[in-house]
Parts: sequence; structure tokens; C-alpha cells
Amino acid sequence: MFSPAMRRKLSEWLTAYIFLAPWFFILFVFIIFSIGWAFYLSFTDYNLFSPPKWVGLTQYIRVLRDRDFLQYALPNTLKYVAVVVPTQTVISLIIAFALDQNIRFRRFFRTAFYVPSVTSSVVISLIFIWLFSKVGIINQIFGLKIDWLNSPTYALPTIMMVNIWSTIGTMMLIFLAALQDIPVALYEAAQIDGANRLQILRYVTIPALRPAIFFVVTMGVIGCFQVFDQIYVMTAGGPLGATTTMAYLIYKWAFGSTNIQMGRASAVAFILSLMILVVVLIQRRIIEREE
Amino acid sequence: MTTMARALPRRDVFALWDRLKMPLFYGVLILWTIISIFPFWVSVVYSLKPVANSYDPPYLWPVPFTLENYRTVLTQFELFPRWVLNSAVVAITVMVIRTLFCAMGGYAFARLRFPGKDLLFTLTLFTMMVPGQVTLIPQFLIIGPGVVRNLTIGGVKIPTGFGLLNNLGALILPGIVDAFGLFMMTQFYKSIPSELEEAALVDGLGRFGIFFRIVLPISQTALLTLALFTFQGTWNAFMWPLIVLRSPEKFTLPIGLQWFKGEYYTLYSIVLAGSIFNSLPIILIFFLFQRYFIRSVAVTGLKEA
Amino acid sequence: MYRKAFALMALVVVAGLVLTACAPQTVTVTVPVKETVQVPVEKTVVVPAERVTVRLSGWAANPQETALLESLLYRFSVENPDIIVKYEPITGDYWQAIKTLVGAGEEPDIYYMDIFQFPFFAKEGVLLPLDDLMASTGTSRDVFIPDLINAFTYEGKTYGIPKDFNTLALFYNKDLFDQAGLAYPTDNWTWDDLKAAAQKLSQPDKNIYGLGVPADPGRFPIFVFQNGGRIMTEDFSDTLLDSPEVVEAARFYTGFYFDKSGALPSDVGEGWQGTAFGKGNFAMVYEGGWLIPYLNQQFPNLKYGAVLPPKGPKGYGNLIFTVAYVISKNSKNPEAAWKVIEFITNEASQTTVLESGFALPSRAALINHPYFQSHPESATIFRGATGATPFMWGLYGSDVNEKMGQALERIYLKGQDPEASFRQAAQELREILGK
Repeated sequence: MFSPAMRRKLSEWLTAYIFLAPWFFILFVFIIFSIGWAFYLSFTDYNLFSPPKWVGLTQYIRVLRDRDFLQYALPNTLKYVAVVVPTQTVISLIIAFALDQNIRFRRFFRTAFYVPSVTSSVVISLIFIWLFSKVGIINQIFGLKIDWLNSPTYALPTIMMVNIWSTIGTMMLIFLAALQDIPVALYEAAQIDGANRLQILRYVTIPALRPAIFFVVTMGVIGCFQVFDQIYVMTAGGPLGATTTMAYLIYKWAFGSTNIQMGRASAVAFILSLMILVVVLIQRRIIEREE
Repeated sequence: MTTMARALPRRDVFALWDRLKMPLFYGVLILWTIISIFPFWVSVVYSLKPVANSYDPPYLWPVPFTLENYRTVLTQFELFPRWVLNSAVVAITVMVIRTLFCAMGGYAFARLRFPGKDLLFTLTLFTMMVPGQVTLIPQFLIIGPGVVRNLTIGGVKIPTGFGLLNNLGALILPGIVDAFGLFMMTQFYKSIPSELEEAALVDGLGRFGIFFRIVLPISQTALLTLALFTFQGTWNAFMWPLIVLRSPEKFTLPIGLQWFKGEYYTLYSIVLAGSIFNSLPIILIFFLFQRYFIRSVAVTGLKEA
Repeated sequence: MYRKAFALMALVVVAGLVLTACAPQTVTVTVPVKETVQVPVEKTVVVPAERVTVRLSGWAANPQETALLESLLYRFSVENPDIIVKYEPITGDYWQAIKTLVGAGEEPDIYYMDIFQFPFFAKEGVLLPLDDLMASTGTSRDVFIPDLINAFTYEGKTYGIPKDFNTLALFYNKDLFDQAGLAYPTDNWTWDDLKAAAQKLSQPDKNIYGLGVPADPGRFPIFVFQNGGRIMTEDFSDTLLDSPEVVEAARFYTGFYFDKSGALPSDVGEGWQGTAFGKGNFAMVYEGGWLIPYLNQQFPNLKYGAVLPPKGPKGYGNLIFTVAYVISKNSKNPEAAWKVIEFITNEASQTTVLESGFALPSRAALINHPYFQSHPESATIFRGATGATPFMWGLYGSDVNEKMGQALERIYLKGQDPEASFRQAAQELREILGK
């Protein structure tokens, strides 16, 4: 009935669907409903205890006019993404390169560099508050008198530094895994062709790393747009809104006030999701165009 | 003319770089090691000093030394071993199941063609973009009491939720596969050459066989990396277990350790000892897996034409 | 090698699935007894009374306080074998968890309610009015300190039984006072005494400051009260943050920072002034009774005392922080839940709590308990409730706190004039209130 080619195609489809069956299950049972519900809530006035009231686009308009959103959350979030994503990608890539070389104590360094990712956020916040305090070590080393986390100018950069520090280990591991799977034969072929080290890097290594780079940058963008944990523990959005991000506003309006605004929190959530989607799609274009 | 004579010929620049490279490399690596380990070390020191001495110098070396904080953490609560067991069961179960399912799904995205693939992949990415705060309650309803309570159609009670509240299953079921792992394995499989698989296809080996006998062994490093991340994420999960678990005997370790945090003040020596203890399993798994972070055999054995 | 690892993993997975599938079963099976002898035998079967389960939740205090609560619950279960109390502490972000649970209809029968969050819960009708239940056991409102029980009253009905409370006291470092040759503070101190002492005690070059003055909306209001002002109007519909009383109080409070007789905790590298006090960086701080167990454990060698907050131009002012037990409107066993609350807040239980040193009882009669003789600092905190104001600013309380804190931060960090800063805070707050 079906031609062999058709049968092969169908069997490929079937295999794919079977392989993705667990994901379909989770997607349709948990995720799609939850996101849909949250999306519905963004068009309502909902305080969690009384039934939601439909208000159309009111919440979105309110958010886009809100002072905290326009003055702090939106610019802070964009600044944060613009600085942290490139920095953490580049640094972790460099470190992965360094560790991919034949240097001694490679395993020791790799373990040491992963320690920040293993350090719990309680530890991170406590120690970094101590390090960056007015009488802390950072000030002593550089001869400064800045109260980092309490300064409207320096609080956000400090949070950036803390998060870059804590995420590099994870990204380094991913790049290392990717580097290790570049076929040695590719390097050999390039060397036979007379390429020098820089050219090998540019024409063999980086292109082979493209999928990994796309992964790391995408996860970086998603994570940075949603930055919340360290801010919640270390600065509570302050001082004076300097570390208020969109995710922090979501928390504040969903759970953190005496007067819950779940609908507005959902609106911010979807504005945020849309922004992330746009950025990720753009960077996918950029990375794939170079192919 | 003078500038030309002063400029070093290209060969010598490389030679200089070669000589400086190693010490420079090691210097940077050592600097970053110190930066990476320092906070952890300080917290270890803090946890090894008695509570009353926490704020006395020295800060970089535990004097006076005591294991009292760790003893408090381990013995204060009778349920402590139970918490460790709960965490271990959940983390290991999710780690094994999720790594497998994500590898399967990632392979499908990377290698197989099927209708709706691009849309599904973008949708998968999108699910990670919606902040968890706003999906917390609906997910809670699904895993627990149900979206619609007491739904009866024609006399038959239809459950709209899993009823898994206060059950470790609530931690395992939603975690059997996730977008992050799928994405990671997809990218990984896209970056390794497909020659071996194609050869096997030609030889008549079915897709399932190819996956389990060829693809999985090749992707060992990526699988172990994903397993490590999954274990870590599941072990440290906090917000979700806090809400779905109720009885103290069902707590996972991070939830139980939070008990040492006070409402108005916190004795950090004990809290830090607890959180260092909580990191130990992850460090253990990291060491265990490190030995297998090797170049995969197939990749080194391939002979390109 | 892989096989073994795989087998082990599979075993754990199976174990995991089995463990989760097994829920404790409480089914009793009756086995029929076959009698072969024809002798009539009378068999009395004791049927256990219906046992009722009550879920009690709250934030997880430190282990000692938890042990205290559990001992009270144990005593209760001995006297009431037909009620099972399940204690389900929430060890993380309590308010996020409890709001989620209430929103999903899965909240416990009894849970902690802080006065600050109370208005919202009361208005939304998710709490059970307690007056009828109180009448059924003869519990009168009068046995509790009036300010506390009134705080949990909404539209004439009682919604919570206060379990304990706290106020602020002026804690002082005896050694630093001795070194400066100053007499210790007394309950009769005024703002002038406070200012003079702080100036004499400050030695900024040694990182020692007279008074801690954090930009904290949980501390600053008492200065407003001492100046005869209010933060909000009585019905909480409008704010008085831009009133002259508030501005004057702000000028006085922040004045300590600018003439270096006081400082922020971060100036000495700490996040909380309690730690700065313990380390000897601050000679005086305004803190609550929680400082006492903290100092005893973290800084056992510190010699300190506590007096009532010094009076301002218009007299005495203080804040009351209090927590109550509330019953959920959806509780299936409200009578049993009430029995639990009634027991753990009766005089015997509250006496036990008091003697443990962790919290102050809400029953007025216990003011005469000998504990206060031997613990003068706790007595000060207890006495602080007379003439104090509950720490609650109505439905928009968290916004009020935020604007107040930001006003103080602007004065400190940007040097803005207190009048301009608080006018801005009031304006922004009115926008929120008006919405």
C-alpha cells in the first residue's frame, strides 16, 4: 500500500513521536494548561482569594505606564541582559578553551571552577554581602569606600558580578563537553592544510561549537531576563529601585504585597516572555546565518 | 623606517607568546581558582567555628575549631536521615529518567524529520521563558486537588488532578523530562557527526537500535553533564517542594535545613554548616562523573576521507 | 561496568516509584471469630471514637521554639485523644506558600497570621470568625491584652487569637556607656537625652557609633508617634507621611546619621543592626525582644540592658508586632481546631512559652509572673505595649512600608531634604491608594 520511501518516512515520524512522548505528556498535562491559565489571568483583576474579574487589556496598559516598571524594572533588566550574557559566555568559553589544552592539573582546575555552581545561594549572598560591604575585602584591596549593595549606582553591577561568578562553572562544563566532541580528525585535516592556531580556532573550533554557543547564549538570555533569586535575598529590589527587575516586580505583585495583584504580575510575565522570545529568535537568526 | 626595524618579525611574536603562554595561562587559572573557591572556603571556616566566635578573627582559618555546628545539623532533628533519603530518592530517580527521556527527545529534534518539528521546538523553548511565579498555582492544582473540584459527569467522578500532594511523586512526576535538558541534548546531537548512525541505518539497524546501541554511548559526556545538572537542580529544588510537601517526614533536605533559619534572626554558623552538608552529594556526583568526562571513542576513531 | 550502574539506578528508580505509590493506609479489617462452643459468650467490642485531624501550620521558628510548640501539642493530644494535630511547618517563604495554599483551597485548618497581613485576609473572608467558638468554651476576649485582640478584630468580629507579641526597646551596651562615663538610660529618657548620649558615645574612627538608624519602616514610625504624628489616617484611606510631625521626626532620626552620632548597619559592614550591636559597633539600637535570645547565643559575653524608647516632644510611642492563630473558613473541623487553639493559648501553655524566653504571652494576667523579675529586658518589652501602636497600615501596608523606606533611603543616599522626600513618598502612595 505504501511505497518503501513513504513507509520509511512514516516510521521516522512514528519514532520521533514515540521519542517525544514523555515531553508531549508533560507539555499537555502540566505546562500548556498552566501557561494558558496564567495568560488568561493577565486579562483579569485577580487577588488570589476572590474569583478573577475580566478587565481586558487594563493590566497590560497599567504595567506599561507603571513608574516602577518604566523607570526601574525594564531598564535594569535590559542592562542586566546586555552586560551579563556576553560576559558570562565569553569568559566561560575562554576558560573551557584553557582547560581543553593539555595542561597539568586539569581535573583540579575543572573542579575548582565548578565550585561556584555548587555553592548554595545562602552562602553566596552571605559571603558576597560581607565581601562587598563598606569595610569588606573588595574595598580594602582596591582602596575604595563604596557601600556596594546599598549604592543606587553600584548595586546592580554588584549583582551582575555575583551572578556571572556563579554561572560560569556551569557554562564552562557545557563548552568543555562540546569541545571534547569535536572530531580530532577535523583538527588534523586543518593542520595538514597549513592552518595556524588562530585560523584553526576561527574556522574549525568556533563553527563546530555553534550549537553549543546557541545553547549557552539562549539559556543565558532566558536566565538573565528572569534574574530574581540573588536580588530577592541580597537587596530586595533596592536601594531605591536600583536592583528592581521585571521578575522581581512579578514576585512583588504576585506574592510579596499585602495587596495581591496576580493579574498584573501575569501581564508582566507575558511581556517578559515576549521580549525573551524576540531576542532568542533574533540571535538564532544571527548564529544560523553564519553557517 | 625606524618603526619597521623596531617591529618584531611575526615569527618572534609567536615565539614570545609561546614562552609567556604557559605562565600566563597558569596565572589566570590560579587567579580564577582563588576567586571561585574563596566564598566556599570562607563559609567552611565559618561553619567550623563555634557560634559565639563567628564574628571574631581570624576569618580565613577556623580557630577555635569545632564540629559542633555539624553535629547540631545532623542530630537536631530526628527526621534528618529521612530527609536525606527523600532527597536522594527523588534526585536519583529524576536524574535517571530525565536524562534518558531528554536524550531521546533531543535525538528526535536533532536527527529525525517530522511534521511540526520547528513549531514544537520553538514551543519547547518558549516554555522556559514564562517565569515560574505565575504558573505556580495552576501547576499546584494539577498535581494536587485538581483544576475543577468534584467534577462529576453522569454520576462518574472525574479527577482533574493527580492528588499527589504531600507525596514524593509530586516532585518526580513533573520532572521526568524538561525543556532545558531537551534543548541541551538537541544542540549536542546537532554538533556530532552522523556518519556512524547513517552507516548503521544502511546496515539495516532500526532507529531504536541505533539510538540505544550507538548514539547513547557516543553522547556519554553530554549525558553525564545533563545528569549532573539534573541531579543538582532536583536536589536543590526549593519552591515547589515547599508548597507540595506538608508533613515534616516528607521533606527533602533543603526544606528541612531551612528550619534553622529564624523568623527574626539567624545563627549563620549552623545554617552554613547545613548548606555545606547539602552540597556534599553534588560534589560527590561531580567527582564520580568526572572520571567519565572523556573524549568519546567514536569521535576519535573516525577517519575522515 | 555500565550494567552494574544501570542496574543500581534501575533499582533506585523502582524504589522511588514504589515509595511514592505507597500511601499509609488506615483501613481496619474485621476478622470474623468463629465460635464452635455453644456457650453463650458476651463480647464487648470497644469502637474507637471518631478521630478528627486538624492541620496546623506556621513558619518554622528555630528548633528550640519548634520543640516548645510540639511539647504543647503533645500535652494537648494527651488530654484530647480524639483529635490528631498534624504540625506542618513551612520552612521557606511563608507568605508565598500560605497565599498559594489559600488561593488553591488547600490551606491548613490553623495557621499563623501576622497583624501586618491581617487586613487583606480578613477583608477577603477567608478566615473563620471565632466569637461563637469562644463562647462555647467560655473564653473571653478580656483575658488578652486589648491592643492585641483588637488588632485581629474586623467589623466587630474576632478572627484571631494572639499567640505572642513584641515591641521595640532601646538596647544599650553597658561597656560602651561605662567607657564614656555616661549613666545608663532609664525609662524616663527623652529625645534630648538620646541625642546627647549618642553624640558622646560615637567614635567614628573606631567604627563605633552611638545609635543605629537604619532606613527601616519597622523602626522609624515610633519616632513619628513620639512626635504626636501618625503614618496613616485612622481608616487607612489616606496617608499622613507628608505631615509636619512626620517630617520633624524624620529630621531628628536621620540627623544622627549626618552628624555621625549614628550610622547605618552597612556602614560597619553588617546587614542588620542587631549584629552591629552585638559586635560593639553600635552603642544603642532600637530592636525587639528577638534580640535577647540572639545576643545570648551569638554574643554571650555582651553586657547590655533595655529601656522603653525615649519619649519625644509629644510623649511615648512604640510599635506592636503580633501574630495570631487563625482558623480557615474552609476548615472541616472548626470545633476541633478551636479546641487546639484554646489549649495552646491558655494560661498554662502561655506560661510555659514565657518561661522558655522565646516569646511574650498575650494574656494580660501574666504581667505579674516572676519571670519578669529575673528578666528585666523582657519585662521592658512587655511593658512597651502600653500606649503602643500595632504595626499595620491597612490593605496597602506593604506599599506604605516601601514608600517610607524609600523616603528614608533618599534622605540618606541622595541627601534629599526630609520634607521633599516625604512629600514625594506621600504623593506616590496616594496614587496607589487612589487606584
